[in-house]
Amino acid sequence: MDPLVITAHTLTSAAGTGIAANTEALKHGTSGLRPSDLDAVTLETYIGRVPGVEAITLEGRLAPFQCRNNQLAELGLRQDGFAEAVTAAAQRHGPDRVAVLLGTSTSGIAATEAAYHRRDPQTGVLPPYYDYQHTQNMFSLADFVATRFGLSGPAMVISTACSSSAKVFADAQRFIAAGLCDAAVVGGVDSLCGMTLYGFNALQLVAAQPCNPLDRDRNGISIGEAAGYFLLERATADIPGPRLIGHGESSDAHHMSAPHPEGLGAATAMQQALGRAGCHGEAVDYVLMHATATPANDRSEARALTHSLGTGCRAVGSKGLTGHTLGAAGAVGVAQALASLAGGFIPPTAGLQTLDPELDLDARADVEQRPVQRVLVNAFGFGGNNCSLLLEAAP
Amino acid sequence: MNPIGLYAVGLLGPGLEDFESARPVLAGEAPLTSRDVQIPPPGLLPANERRRTTATIRLALKVAEEATEGADRSQLRSVFASSSGDMDIIDRICDALTHPEPVVSPVQFHNSVHNAPAGNWSIATRNPAPATALSGYTASLATGLLEAATLQLTEGGEVLLACYDVPSMETFAHVRPIHHPFAVALRLGPPEGAPWRLQLAFGGDVPADRCRVDELEALRDSNPAARALPLLEQLARGTPGHVTLQAPLGRSLSIQIEP
Repeated sequence: MDPLVITAHTLTSAAGTGIAANTEALKHGTSGLRPSDLDAVTLETYIGRVPGVEAITLEGRLAPFQCRNNQLAELGLRQDGFAEAVTAAAQRHGPDRVAVLLGTSTSGIAATEAAYHRRDPQTGVLPPYYDYQHTQNMFSLADFVATRFGLSGPAMVISTACSSSAKVFADAQRFIAAGLCDAAVVGGVDSLCGMTLYGFNALQLVAAQPCNPLDRDRNGISIGEAAGYFLLERATADIPGPRLIGHGESSDAHHMSAPHPEGLGAATAMQQALGRAGCHGEAVDYVLMHATATPANDRSEARALTHSLGTGCRAVGSKGLTGHTLGAAGAVGVAQALASLAGGFIPPTAGLQTLDPELDLDARADVEQRPVQRVLVNAFGFGGNNCSLLLEAAP
Repeated sequence: MNPIGLYAVGLLGPGLEDFESARPVLAGEAPLTSRDVQIPPPGLLPANERRRTTATIRLALKVAEEATEGADRSQLRSVFASSSGDMDIIDRICDALTHPEPVVSPVQFHNSVHNAPAGNWSIATRNPAPATALSGYTASLATGLLEAATLQLTEGGEVLLACYDVPSMETFAHVRPIHHPFAVALRLGPPEGAPWRLQLAFGGDVPADRCRVDELEALRDSNPAARALPLLEQLARGTPGHVTLQAPLGRSLSIQIEP
């Protein structure tokens, strides 16, 4: 495939607001997880909560979008000069030539949860201030970002659970290849809410302690929130910046909430990403795994890695830093991969004490300083929905 | 964009049981006599999985099955487009969360994801091809069609588009008035040998076309998936034509149709 260049990006997560803070946390394995202190949640668990989200007020034409997810979306847009880069791209290409392709799993559902507490006791009617279209509806996030920048290219929200914000990269590549746009704002935003915390808890997938991916004693996820954005354009020799050189997507066709035991779909996605880039497994410095820290997920993904890239494959799990940010997980993974490509290091697996020997992977608790040329990033979701992205350092 | 082929259509809506039987109504040759919508159980799913399905999943799978009748279901890519997803589950879970010790059903939770129909479709058809799920609010049909057409043009092969929305629960009725289920599916592929050729153009801000038949026009705004009706009317007429759909952000998607 024709590669895309990432001309701007940013990440806000529990591990940090902006790229510099996230890179420091990534390099040193510094976790942003803390005991749950959400008002609406009484579960004993750790969460990856982003500080400062509640302080964001959306004003003017953006006021109807006010909800935790769009507050986090706005906080993220304000970091690393990303908003300025989008504005410049809109001037360069025209606002109708910039697509907005974003991922989320639950959009602004926290607004609906809050509104349900304030239903009319007699009629059950939701309070008059509740704005479904601009908060809870899935499209709200793309609508918000497009409205903020006055963009009018193709726009959509992809919502395939935890692969959402990885799949948008593949879409951007196809949309640009088809001539529908010249640039795309992609990424994902997902925010903490009662539905996911109680839902994953009902599935018995939530850990009481901070999650520890790839560890022998791992026993579930910690849920987090994040906003990550990327500006993608056609890669020409004169534009510097890291490249998206491959993407792969697949379905497990196995089960709604459990991964394929042999990681069949995951392996297909990774092989496709490598194939599109014309790369062999040896060209990949390491795999930034989806590694949610449930026993079954990490086992299944490890088998997929072994199958696609051989045993003892160099692998990193990063959800000990941020928690599992669900629909934003792909965006978080890509931003972390870019930090490692730019900084010349293979990140540690945060929270790792004893590597699970059954996984047959080379995962480490310490950072390794060394040039990194290519990273494969995985994001897998409910419904057996898999996506794998291959990123390459700036030429 | 380059032309793509349209091979088959699936349909379910008030008085519209499937595309073939609805053709006379869509062509303006017969009146819309009924307002009933019966969503049949998904025949392709194993019994165990079928029991766990929701109205949203059954609605999407009904039109997906119809549009892929006789086709190889084990290979084609799929795009599932819905404005609001499973409003019923969202209502139940948000209600459960108002209780002092909230109990969320695990099955409801895994079915709450926007890609629940996509996941069930891949399981039902044992299809390992990529599946996606998206929203473009009331313009979800045009959004899904643009996505599916782009997939066909860039990746080749056949692509299934299913677009659907279930009615809003009572709590949502005034903030999101959708009063009946509606779903449509299109099976797209290469233009050579297809019963219809579609040529899409994204851009401009031309208003969306209305239905020619008044009874259908009354349905068009009642469900985001029913925005397909002007396109379905044109297909049923069997003549060349042109239809404009509303795309997100005030843009439009125009479709040139050649039988």
